[in-house]
Amino acid sequence: MRVTRLLLLVVGAAATAYGCWLLLPQLGTALPWLIGGPVLHDVLVAPLVGLVGLALGRLVTNRLRLAWIAAGLAASATLLLIAVPLLWRPPSAPPNPGLPDRDYPLGLAVGLAVLWAAIVVVLVVATTLDRRTDRQ
Amino acid sequence: MIRRPRVPVPEDFTAPSHSPLVTARLGLWLAVAFGLCFGTGLLSHYIQHPPGWFTWPTRPVNLYRITQGVHVLSGVAAVPLLLAKLWSVYPRLFVRPPVRQPIRLSAHALERISVLVLVCAAFFELVTGLFNVAQSYPWGFFFPTAHYAVAWLVVGALLLHVAVKLPVARAALSTPLRRSGAAPAATPGPDDRDSSERRAFLRTSAGVAGIAVLATAGVTVPWLRRVSPLAWRSASGPQGVPINRTAAAAHISVPPDWRLEIVWAGGRNSLSLADLAALPQRTAELPIACVEGWSASAHWTGVPVVQLLRWAGAPTGRPVRVTSLETDGLYAASTLPAAHSRDPLTLLALRINGEELSPDHGYPCRLIAPSRPGVLQTKWVARLEVLR
Ligand code: HEM
Repeated sequence: MRVTRLLLLVVGAAATAYGCWLLLPQLGTALPWLIGGPVLHDVLVAPLVGLVGLALGRLVTNRLRLAWIAAGLAASATLLLIAVPLLWRPPSAPPNPGLPDRDYPLGLAVGLAVLWAAIVVVLVVATTLDRRTDRQ
Repeated sequence: MIRRPRVPVPEDFTAPSHSPLVTARLGLWLAVAFGLCFGTGLLSHYIQHPPGWFTWPTRPVNLYRITQGVHVLSGVAAVPLLLAKLWSVYPRLFVRPPVRQPIRLSAHALERISVLVLVCAAFFELVTGLFNVAQSYPWGFFFPTAHYAVAWLVVGALLLHVAVKLPVARAALSTPLRRSGAAPAATPGPDDRDSSERRAFLRTSAGVAGIAVLATAGVTVPWLRRVSPLAWRSASGPQGVPINRTAAAAHISVPPDWRLEIVWAGGRNSLSLADLAALPQRTAELPIACVEGWSASAHWTGVPVVQLLRWAGAPTGRPVRVTSLETDGLYAASTLPAAHSRDPLTLLALRINGEELSPDHGYPCRLIAPSRPGVLQTKWVARLEVLR
């Protein structure tokens, strides 16, 4: 394990140094986009996720329901994040007559609706099964 | 109970998802996702900037379509996995540095810096990649070189991270998630609840990654075209195939006396469009596979480049430089490696799906070769030069 770790360390340091060297000419313009990710995540996204989690835990006491709602929120948030570049085109983007080539807001809305409909169906089925086993 | 607000410590976070059992598994999945991104990205880089030792096969004709599809889709899958991983280790942001022990403090600082580089670089790759596929560039750097440089940062910092965490990761990965020992049906204690929540967290992360892939895979998987709401390209476009650069954007005007020039060491030849159309034609189904991960197949009809060179009396089996009527722009020319220039499926196409090429598809003729990125399928071809 020592050898493996040492090897990883050496190769990792070399690759990092190579990346730094490649990036050097553009470091100034890239820096805000490099730092932006962890800053936004650590001071905004993660605390928000924590607060939503705490609130959800208070509001929903059934564990199965809680798990499925949390999963639905995670999937919705991911889809929204992936959709950002499709929904928001800053004016600096070059014009491309081929883009946008479909109605992304509509597609996203339909996708989210399908997702939540599926979760509602799962929960209704699970609750009915639970009740049945309770009654037996 | 009223507490004064203070900066949290790791022990304040009690959710089971913060366990190293979860962290290490998410880490492994992320390593697979980023590893696929890096491998396929490196291939794409080498295809466009081939070092001397590099060769890329022409078969299967869909090879580049597959590698680049894997590249963008594993990047999409990494979005929820990265967020899940960072949530899992969020408490560790609040670990207090060992200020009184200089040696441990410097080791701690070095580790923190390498993790910062890793997280910066990982976010950078995913965010810039997603904006690039939407052809949106709200930044000052040149995307391909920056994305390539930061890829090395991700891989380097990832290897450093694994070197540091290997003991914890190994211990965690060899500990089963499901508590064994007691029979599964035993009365659930608090430990079982934790372990089931850990498994639920991992299942959700994997499931969301799957949904994200499904929501975008239509860019390249034909039967998902109508399913994926966030596919950044559909298969539609002029003559049934999307385009990135229009003739107007490239400032193309085809001169009325257009002739294709063929040049080689010791000779030259030229053909009019009518001459080209009079040569034996071949039709092939080949994909346009963009570096942005979208792809679409079409039936192209034209003259195989190797036949054309033979007809002109030029040597074959050598690299060929293909130059466009376009005068500016990064993609005004490309070089066909020898393997591609001698492949009978590499066409100088005059027709797409049975119709004459429209100006946006490269009228009067364009290059279409198997297993190549779309940016190298030069349009509005004016000249072929056989290299040595
Ligand atoms: C892009 C990929 C990755 C990112 C962005 C990432 C990020 C992080 C971060 C920010 C931490 C907290 C650092 C700290 O302990 O202070 C961490 C911890 C950790 N990571 Fe990763 N990681 C990645 C890949 C991996 C891989 C491939 C593995 C190995 C399987 C791994 C295993 C671990 C382990 C075991 C910990 C410590 C958990 C603990 O001690 O509680 N990570 N990671």
